Amino acid sequence: MQNVLAVLLQLDPNQSSRPWFAGNASIWGNMADALHQSLDRVLLLLIAILPGILAFLVALAVFTLIGMALSALLRRGLAAVKLDERLADGRGNSNWTPSTSPTVLIARVSFWGSILLGLIIGVSAFDASYATATTLPSSLLPYLTRVVGAAALLIVGTLSARFLARSVLIGAVNEQLQYARFLSLGIKWLVLVLTAAMVLEHLQIGGNIVGLAFGILFGGIVLTLALAVGLGSRDLVSRSLESHAEHSSESSATPSTTSSDDSIRHF
Amino acid sequence: MLMATADSILGVPTPCAPPGNGLLILLAAMTPEQLERVFASLTASFPKEELLIAAPDAIADALPADSYPSLRIVTAPASNSAWTLTAADFVSAYQLAEKHEARAILMLGSASGSLGSSALRELANAVLDPTDLALPCYELPPHAGLINSAILYPLTRALFASRVRFPLAVDLGLSLRMAKRMADAAQRFTAINQGQTPLWPVNEASVAGFAIDQFDVNPSVQPTAPELNTILPLLIGPLFSDIKAKAAFWQRFRPLPPARNTMPMPLAPTADTAADIAPMLSAFRLAYTNLHEIWSLVLPPNSLLMLKRLAATDAAAFRISDSLWARIVYDFLLAYRLRTINRGHLLGALIPLYLAWVASHFNIIASGSDPEGHIEAVAAAFEAEKIYMLSRWRWPDRFNP
Repeated sequence: MQNVLAVLLQLDPNQSSRPWFAGNASIWGNMADALHQSLDRVLLLLIAILPGILAFLVALAVFTLIGMALSALLRRGLAAVKLDERLADGRGNSNWTPSTSPTVLIARVSFWGSILLGLIIGVSAFDASYATATTLPSSLLPYLTRVVGAAALLIVGTLSARFLARSVLIGAVNEQLQYARFLSLGIKWLVLVLTAAMVLEHLQIGGNIVGLAFGILFGGIVLTLALAVGLGSRDLVSRSLESHAEHSSESSATPSTTSSDDSIRHF
Repeated sequence: MLMATADSILGVPTPCAPPGNGLLILLAAMTPEQLERVFASLTASFPKEELLIAAPDAIADALPADSYPSLRIVTAPASNSAWTLTAADFVSAYQLAEKHEARAILMLGSASGSLGSSALRELANAVLDPTDLALPCYELPPHAGLINSAILYPLTRALFASRVRFPLAVDLGLSLRMAKRMADAAQRFTAINQGQTPLWPVNEASVAGFAIDQFDVNPSVQPTAPELNTILPLLIGPLFSDIKAKAAFWQRFRPLPPARNTMPMPLAPTADTAADIAPMLSAFRLAYTNLHEIWSLVLPPNSLLMLKRLAATDAAAFRISDSLWARIVYDFLLAYRLRTINRGHLLGALIPLYLAWVASHFNIIASGSDPEGHIEAVAAAFEAEKIYMLSRWRWPDRFNP
């Protein structure tokens, strides 16, 4: 019993000076180590990226300067040979001829072409220096190209929607369709929805859900249009058809007394 | 009958040159009945002359071999269009004239058989003598030739200082140098496969300083043309392009030649041809509701306000002022030049406004006014508003609708 007490009451100076949380010191040490390692990794990554970023910026700056010089040179050269006047003589009545002068157009194309070339070279240099460091570029860079492609799709789709909507609106008005605006809006939103689905598909967002949702939405719009024309606008449509039928029946029944468009010769 | 020439540099009637001597007659595609009428008219016009006629293959084959011994037929390429002369027609006309060493060319449309023999002789005589461009001045009913009355004639008169009443006639006479100029102009279009584009002989002759003459004719038959929605963009687009190309010429003010002693006498409207303007007005009102956004890109607020008032006007009181119409056409011309919107859309948006002008024109005729007098007033308004056009053409950024 005395031995036991002696053992319990034995005071060890080393033991008494150790803090009670001495076992947690290894946690802090591990955390610090982890943070250090993480910081090292990030710094190493930055060091690996930095030459690529610099190469990208240098390539972009150099090719921008080249583009500016080339553009100025082309402007002066083409103005000296009077390209605009020469092409104006030979230009037909095309609806798709550009509104700006050919000289300005060529100069702009050369400038933006140089910038595009600088971008491509810069991205390639960035890719080359970065690919050795991590596995990220294998997913990031292709995705960036997808984003660019999606942006182009979005622009083309929006412009197409606007062009088609105007075409349908003017055509329908000239055909004297009462629901011209409704038709135009329907076409516009169909194209916009189609564009949105294509963009999401291109960005690989949503997977099959996008296709499914697009199918449902597209079908819904078509169904809505059909129902609106068939039910909701039935009075409108019937009035339009009736007036059309009245015009045709009047012109066929009493050709000598009515003044249909047949009596008018525009040319 | 040779009318007092507004544009002729001679100013006096020319003596009759021997017809058929060095004259090439180019025929458009036509039916056998139309061909019979044309040949009958030609043989009556030039009874003692051997005529050189260029016609498409189908026409040449349809001709009985010994029916018209005085006519020598050569084959020509078929025309692209039955209702107007196109760039390809002018190119082939000049090539044939050079090949057969012709001094002048008479181009005749499918309805030229109804022009009368004297008209054909006058056109031929004019171009065999120093006149470079001889055009018919058709006497049409008030409800015919409306695009010409609303846009083609006033614009040509205001910008090119020419009183030619039908600048885009389907029958016309050309001197050899005029034919060469037209062929040169046409080759710009045929070279890029746009041979079907209409050309503007009066504009070319005015720029070149050539002599122009016009003669009254009274066609009993008019060629059929495509519907309005097709024909208006087909005509106005090339006209606007031509005006744009010749801006350096028409921006200088030139005195208009004195008016002719006699104006074309439109045939009196009969009861069965009284026009119903209701469909045109409904088209205009529908367009005002739907195309206002597009018009606002082209027209200034003042014009839009006047159109708003017109849209609310009763049919009986519907009138578009001549100055408003002139400004509308000029604004569309400027928007065509600046490509404010797609050119196809622009010309499509002009159609309802043109229909509104037609309705207004019919109302004015119905009120007892002389149709030709109203057309002359419209042309005068185009001349008066030319300053507006010039200021906007030169400084388009001053006004942004």
